[in-house]
Amino acid sequence: MHEMSVLWLRVAAGLYSLGLLNAILMVLHRRVRLFRIALGAFTAGALLQLVSIVEQTAVSGHFPANNFFESASLCAFLSAALFLFVYWRYRLESLSVFIFPLVFLLTLVSVLGSPAPSSWGGAGVRDAWLVAHVTLVLVGYAALLITAVAAVAYLLRERQLKRKVPHPHTDRLPALGTLDELISRGMTLGFVFITLAVIAGSTWASIEAGTRWIGDARIVISLATWGIYLVMVFLRVSAGWRGRKAAIMVLTVLGCSALTWAAHTSLRALFT
Amino acid sequence: MKLLITGLNHKTAPVEVRERLAFDHSSLAAALRDLTAQPGLAEGLILSTCNRVEVAVTAENGAEPGPLVEEFLAENRQMDRGWIAPYLYRHEDEEAIRHLFRVAASLDSMVVGEPQILGQLKAAYAAAKAQGAVSGWLEIILMRAFGVAKRVRSETGIGESAVSVGSAAVELAREIFGTLADKKVMVLGAGKMSELAARHLRRSGARIYVTNRTHGRAQAMAELFQGVIVEYDRFLSVLPEIDILIASSGAPFYILRKDQMRQVIEARRNRPVFLIDIAVPRNIDPAINEIEHVFLYDIDDLQRVVESNVDERRKRAEQAERIIADELARTLARLKAREVAPTIVSLQEQLEQVRLAEIARQRARLGQLTPQQEEALEAITRGILNKVAHGPISELRRQAGQPGGLHIIDTIRRVFRLDG
Repeated sequence: MHEMSVLWLRVAAGLYSLGLLNAILMVLHRRVRLFRIALGAFTAGALLQLVSIVEQTAVSGHFPANNFFESASLCAFLSAALFLFVYWRYRLESLSVFIFPLVFLLTLVSVLGSPAPSSWGGAGVRDAWLVAHVTLVLVGYAALLITAVAAVAYLLRERQLKRKVPHPHTDRLPALGTLDELISRGMTLGFVFITLAVIAGSTWASIEAGTRWIGDARIVISLATWGIYLVMVFLRVSAGWRGRKAAIMVLTVLGCSALTWAAHTSLRALFT
Repeated sequence: MKLLITGLNHKTAPVEVRERLAFDHSSLAAALRDLTAQPGLAEGLILSTCNRVEVAVTAENGAEPGPLVEEFLAENRQMDRGWIAPYLYRHEDEEAIRHLFRVAASLDSMVVGEPQILGQLKAAYAAAKAQGAVSGWLEIILMRAFGVAKRVRSETGIGESAVSVGSAAVELAREIFGTLADKKVMVLGAGKMSELAARHLRRSGARIYVTNRTHGRAQAMAELFQGVIVEYDRFLSVLPEIDILIASSGAPFYILRKDQMRQVIEARRNRPVFLIDIAVPRNIDPAINEIEHVFLYDIDDLQRVVESNVDERRKRAEQAERIIADELARTLARLKAREVAPTIVSLQEQLEQVRLAEIARQRARLGQLTPQQEEALEAITRGILNKVAHGPISELRRQAGQPGGLHIIDTIRRVFRLDG
C-alpha cells in the first residue's frame, strides 16, 4: 500500500477508536454524551479513509480490492458511509453500537496489512503484545463465563415464575432483575476485554508474521467469534434481547470462544 | 415456685370477648401494679394484642394463683367472672413454659410464623420490668423465650415466605425485579386487596400510579399513596412505563388483551413486567402469560402461592416444635438446679459449722499439734463430712423437679434441721 495512503488509514483508525469507546460506554451506561464527539470523529475517519482509498487507486492505477487488507478497508468505509446515511435519514443512534466497533476493527485489520514500523520488531515489544493479548482474553472469558451462568439461572428462574409454582431449589436463585443486571455487566465487561484482546492479538500477529496472518483459519475463527459477540451486544442493547434468546446467544458465544481457545493452544507455533 | 399463665386467644374467644378483655397501653401500668399487689403473687406480666390477652404470674409454693388471676381479670376489666371463665385457658409450670415459648416463636399465632408477636411480647416484658413486676423466675423464662423465638426463626426460617395474597404479590415482585425501589406500579380500579398490595409496594420504595373510570376514586387513591393520576383512557399508552400492574376494576370484560400486551412488551424492549389481576371477573386476558417476559398472576395463582407457603410453614412448625421441646427440657433442668441449690448450700454450711464447732470443743484435749497433725485433723473431719453429705446432695440433685421431689427436699431440710 502507498505510504501516504497508509498514514491516512492509520489516522482514520485512530478516529474510529473514539467510536469504539462510545459504543462501549453506551453499552455500559446506556446514555452517553460522547456520541456527538464520536460521531464527528467517525465522520472525519470515514473522510480520511475515503482519501486513503482514492490515493491508493491513483497510485496503483486500479480499484483497491486487490487483497484482503484493501477489501477490509473498503468494506469498513462502505459500512461507515451506509451508517452515516442511515443516521442522517432515521437518527438510529443504537445502530452505532454495532457499526462503530465493526468499522474500527475492519480498519485496524487493513492498517495491519502494511508492515508495522520497524521499531516494533524488538522481542520485548512483541512479547508485551502477546502477554497483553492473553491476559485480556482470559479476563474476557471469565466475564463471559459468569454471563453464561447468569443467563442459565435467568432461564430457570423465569420458567419457575411462569409456572407459578414455588420451588425450593430455584427459589434460592437471585431475583430475575438481579440476574439481568449481572448478564448486562458481565457481557459488557467481556466485550470490552475481548475487543481489546483482538486488537492486541492482531497487532502482535501482524508484527510477527507480516500479512500472512489473516489467512490463517484460526485467526478467522477468532474474528468470527468477536463478530458474533458484537451481534449479541448489539441485539441486547438495541432490541433488549433477554431470557431464552439471550441465554442461547451467550451460550453460542461461549461455545465459539471455547473453539477459538482450542484453536489457539499453541500460539507461538502459529507462524513458525 | 409456681408459674401460671391464664388467658384467651383467637382460638378460644371471639373478637367481642377479646376486645373487652384487652388492656390498652395507658391502663397497663396500673393493671400490673394491681396484679403484683395480689397476696401470694411474686411476679406478673400482661400480654395484650388483638389476638390474645394473657396474664403470666409466678407464685410462692403452696399458693393457688388461678382464682386470684381470674378475679383480677374480672375486676380490672369490669365484667362478671362467670362470663369470661369459659373462654380462659390455664397453663401451669412446665406447660406454661412451653406455651410461652410457643407464643414467642409465633407457633400459637393466627398466622403461624408472623413476626409481630415477639415484638409485642418484648414490649409486654418492658412494661412489666418498668413496674418492677418481673425480677426472678418469670424474667429468666421470658429471656429464654426470646432466645427460643430467635432460634426457631433462624433455624427453621418459618417467617420467610408470604402467607397473605398481598404479601405474596410483593414477594413475587421482589423475585422478578430484585429491588422495588423506583419501580412503577399502576393500580387500576379500587379495592381492599389492591390497596393493600399497593401499600406494601409503596413501603418498598415503588412509585404508584393510579387510574380509575371514576376520577374521584382515582383522586382518593392517589392521595393515599402520594401517587400520580393517569386518565383512564390513557392508561394503555402509559403502560410501557409500568413495571407492575395491579388490576381490580369491576369491568365485565378484559381490559388488556394479548395483542395490546405484545406491543407494550415490545415498547419496553422486553424488560419484564408483572401483572397482578385480582379482579373477578378477570381484567386481563390469561393468554397474556404466554408472552415472554410477562408474568401474569390472577387471584387463584396468588392463592396457590400462599397455600404452598402455608404448607411449607406447617412443615417448619413441626421442626419448631422439636426445637421447643429441646429448649423446654434444658430450661426445666436449669430451673430445677436453681430450686435445689439453696438447700445444698445450706446443708454444706450446716455441716461445716458442726465440724468447726466440734474441733474447737476438743482443741483443749488435743493439746499442741504439729502442722502435719493439724493437716491430718482437717483431712479426717472434712472427709467424714463429705462422705456423709454425698448421699443427700446427690439425692437432691436427682430429685430436683421430679414429681414428689419437693417432698424429698422438705425431708432432707427437716432431717438436717436446715430451717433453723
